[in-house]
Amino acid sequence: MEQIIANGLYLGAQYALIALGLTLIFSLMNVLNFAHGQMYVFGGFVTYTVVVQLGLPFIVGLLASAVILAIMGAVIEKFLFAPVVRRSKRDESTMLLAAGIAFFLDAVILLLFGEKQRGVPKIVNGVFNWDMRIIMPYDRILIGVLAILLIVVFIAFMNYSRAGRAMRALAQDRMAAQLMGVDVARYSMLGLALGAMLAGLVGGLLVTITGVNLGMGGPTSIKAFLMIMIGGAGVISGAIAGGFILGMMESVGLTVLSAYGDITYLVIFATLMVFLAVRPQGLMGKPWG
Amino acid sequence: MTKILSVENIELYYDHIYALKGVSIDVDEGETVALIGANGAGKSSILRAITGLRPIRSGQIVYQGHRLDGTSASDIVRRGISMVPEGRRAFPLMSVKDNLLMGAFTRSDKAEIEQTLENVLTRFPRLRERYHQQASTMSGGEQQMMVIGRALMARPRLLLLDEPSLGIAPKLVQDIARAIVAISRDEKVSILLVEQNSRMALSISNRAYALSTGSIALSGNSKDLMNDNRIKAAYLGGEL
Ligand SMILES: Nc1ncnc2c1ncn2[C@@H]1O[C@H](COP(=O)(O)OP(=O)(O)O)[C@@H](O)[C@H]1O
Ligand SMILES: [Mg+2]
Repeated sequence: MEQIIANGLYLGAQYALIALGLTLIFSLMNVLNFAHGQMYVFGGFVTYTVVVQLGLPFIVGLLASAVILAIMGAVIEKFLFAPVVRRSKRDESTMLLAAGIAFFLDAVILLLFGEKQRGVPKIVNGVFNWDMRIIMPYDRILIGVLAILLIVVFIAFMNYSRAGRAMRALAQDRMAAQLMGVDVARYSMLGLALGAMLAGLVGGLLVTITGVNLGMGGPTSIKAFLMIMIGGAGVISGAIAGGFILGMMESVGLTVLSAYGDITYLVIFATLMVFLAVRPQGLMGKPWG
Repeated sequence: MTKILSVENIELYYDHIYALKGVSIDVDEGETVALIGANGAGKSSILRAITGLRPIRSGQIVYQGHRLDGTSASDIVRRGISMVPEGRRAFPLMSVKDNLLMGAFTRSDKAEIEQTLENVLTRFPRLRERYHQQASTMSGGEQQMMVIGRALMARPRLLLLDEPSLGIAPKLVQDIARAIVAISRDEKVSILLVEQNSRMALSISNRAYALSTGSIALSGNSKDLMNDNRIKAAYLGGEL
């Protein structure tokens, strides 16, 4: 039991970070970022390159992932999303664009990093063992704690900084935010940069545990969509709740359901469909968006 | 009297349909000017043109001696123009505190922001009581006070109010009218007040313009207009 909860928390923290980035982009741009999973994979490969190929410390790799993905997010917003949003009145256009970016990033990843699964050697050795009740390698604990720390920093930033307040204002009422003097173009760019950075950071964290490969992008995006649908799209608390709930469900599923074969996600999807039929706006979502 | 704002012969379109056709309006330093007219006359469109939310097709807008049209909405706020939009447009999921702080978004003088915040909370004591409450949980009247306070947080030289009495309980409309008079008296600010509640607007303004389907139909001293038969027939019948 304790073991399941510990695994769920570890997984949930990573998932919550991914969902936070996705929900930030969704609430600011009103677009589901189909490329979120690819950004995560890209971040993983950057850390891998810095740590394994260049032989630099893990923390340098993680910072490189954050910086490179933030720049990528900003560039994608400025040169792809912004022009399309300006010219097109239809939501489908940005959705299609996001899907296109996902395929494009897949191609870039293949070109730059290849198709092999890549991982980083253990960053700390040893296994934590509490009376055989919780057994967890120290590196997982470290990565889990780092993820929770990042969540706390992100929430503090959104709640107490001037820029965070401006992004919340923009998400809640675009026109009113403009009237306060918020430069929409600038803060949309910052929002996408931050969202992409979070995805890249999770990639950098998880490459040390599970590794990354080219094929993980799409499925990761789908999981991220699941999380914000559970929690409610566009709401910070919803993303966190969705992340931890999916983490827990997976942890429980992998332990309890494994006897019946690989059906964890089948059960999760089925449960989610019933849940959304009852509460389409998710746990924390507002019925009006 | 020096002019703070002059809107000169502007035209504004939504797609191919005009909303404003050759509208001119002046606001002097320190005065309160009312803009009245029926629903759809183009009152909000004038404010949208001034704040840069909508481009104008022709004419020009001059503010403090400089051309204003063509400036981005966020820069216009920095030049000292704040607007309380129609329908209040509070940030619903933010606390009163964060709503007010958003009003000071363009400022970086921390100590002076504190001072302005203190002034706003003294002016609207209800906001102090509800300081940490989420905006969406407050009544329409309270939210209206809050968004007026939010606009004051920018320390504007020109304050634009778009139908502050809309959807507010009649008892509170008086409070809002008093608050506008007090702001005009205490602050170094000119006010352009858009209202469908013409009687209220005329009673608290120095001058007024009456707008009808995109053009100015009448203008003059508010006192005179209040007794003008055409105004009585068109705008004051039955209201209030
Ligand atoms: N976003 C818009 N798109 C198209 N037409 C609009 C839009 N906003 C206003 N209009 C039209 O422009 C005219 C003036 O509107 P508005 O300035 O909002 O009037 P008022 O504030 O006096 O009620 C109306 O006929 C209205 O239907
Ligand atoms: Mg209007």
